[in-house]
Amino acid sequence: MNISTDRQGGALIAMAEGRVDGANALEFHEALEAAISPDDTGMVLDFEGISYISSAGLRVVLLVAKTLQKQNAKMAVCSLSDSIREIFEISGFDKIIPVHGSRADALAGVGG
Amino acid sequence: MTMTESPQKHKILVVDDEPDLEPLMLQRMRRYIRTGTYEFVFAHDGVEALEALDADESIDMVLSDINMPKMDGLTLLERIPDVAPDIRAVIISAYGDMKNIRIAMNRGAFDFVTKPVDFDDLKFTIDRTLQHIREWKEALSARDKLVVLQNELNVASMMQQSILPNKFARNDNYKLFGTMQPARNVGGDFFDVIGLSDNRVGLAIADVSGKGVPAALFMMSSRTLLKGAAMRADGPGEALTEVNDVLNEDNDACMFVTMIYAVYDPTTGVLTYADGGHDPPLVIHADGTSTQLPVTDGLALGVLPGFDFLQQSYELAPGETVVLYTDGVTEAINAEEEQLGLARLREAFEADPPGDAEDAGHRVIDLVNDFAGDVPQFDDTTCLVLRREN
Repeated sequence: MNISTDRQGGALIAMAEGRVDGANALEFHEALEAAISPDDTGMVLDFEGISYISSAGLRVVLLVAKTLQKQNAKMAVCSLSDSIREIFEISGFDKIIPVHGSRADALAGVGG
Repeated sequence: MTMTESPQKHKILVVDDEPDLEPLMLQRMRRYIRTGTYEFVFAHDGVEALEALDADESIDMVLSDINMPKMDGLTLLERIPDVAPDIRAVIISAYGDMKNIRIAMNRGAFDFVTKPVDFDDLKFTIDRTLQHIREWKEALSARDKLVVLQNELNVASMMQQSILPNKFARNDNYKLFGTMQPARNVGGDFFDVIGLSDNRVGLAIADVSGKGVPAALFMMSSRTLLKGAAMRADGPGEALTEVNDVLNEDNDACMFVTMIYAVYDPTTGVLTYADGGHDPPLVIHADGTSTQLPVTDGLALGVLPGFDFLQQSYELAPGETVVLYTDGVTEAINAEEEQLGLARLREAFEADPPGDAEDAGHRVIDLVNDFAGDVPQFDDTTCLVLRREN
């Protein structure tokens, strides 16, 4: 699974395409962890290109949030499709990882 | 020798009764012997060759003459699979002896070279054979790994099936039915029915993150914790709060489980429930219309320690049915990659209200199967149904 990254201020922006499920969750996790630099003060995971995320994918989001927390960096997500936003709301993950409509809002949220 | 043996080294058994071949082979192949690419061992007839293969498992391939005393090369070809099934053989035949070459190939020889031996051609043929053997062995090892994985998945699947209740107590006031249809790659759904004091009954449905053995283990501990908490706790909210706190200890793997836990009191018809970040239960009214139960600010269990789970209540009217289900139902995929969705689930009951709890459960599974058709599903399909009888 390919992810592309960008940086703005001290924040890492990561984007992916397609489905995140049990079949590629490990790959997704490794790619995100590899993209994080110890200097990052925040991270935005942009869901613009992601069509579906399974519970295995949500677990990766949690693991990445934990990595960031260790370096005192904040994490936020943005541009979720309606069905993915619903998954975040039902599971309560939106209580732990702030969900934003736009990338700009998410960046502002993590101090990027 | 054993410590630094190069993985590229290949042992070749040369079988020929002519004494000239051995020194010639060692002379012409000396460069490859010196660099450790090849090692040659020799036998002088088929019987000796079989003994050598039987005694030495490190032999990779056989290079054999046809005409030899005791046992000829064509007979040897037939016998090799008995002692060393993964060995490939190359035959050395007289030039133009098509009859024996055909027999040799039909008996499983990988290739042949002709006399007088052209050693450049022989080198090429040996390398091609060894390459084939390498690929064959890789394929075998990949298959073995797959078998191990499949066995692990079977264990996970058995664990999952074994913890599900399959008998549901009959009661004049209410009926229960639960069923789970596993996904091909073993998911982590479960449901449970827990007998409580004063005839009350605890109902749980849950979906563990991920799949396979880790999900099955997490499922087992979630279920055990819930059973214990359900007995002690005052209500479902307190039970989930307790389970969540324990699951959060040592959870570096960030596994989590979404769950609805509800307690039904048959004397009042009141269902009290708490939401652990799970799809809200669906109440089907006697006329077939349905309502999602409002949920209270839920959160998946195992994610945040110290979270306070709230609870709410709903009083079932006689003839009303509550369907607890996992997202394997609403996220079932058809050939057009559409999701089944909540609307289709509700429509199915609107057209034809369920006759009893078992009917409702079967209809959920049938709806998913009819919708999905031949498309393999990624997630378990699970539901637990409670119906208050008239």
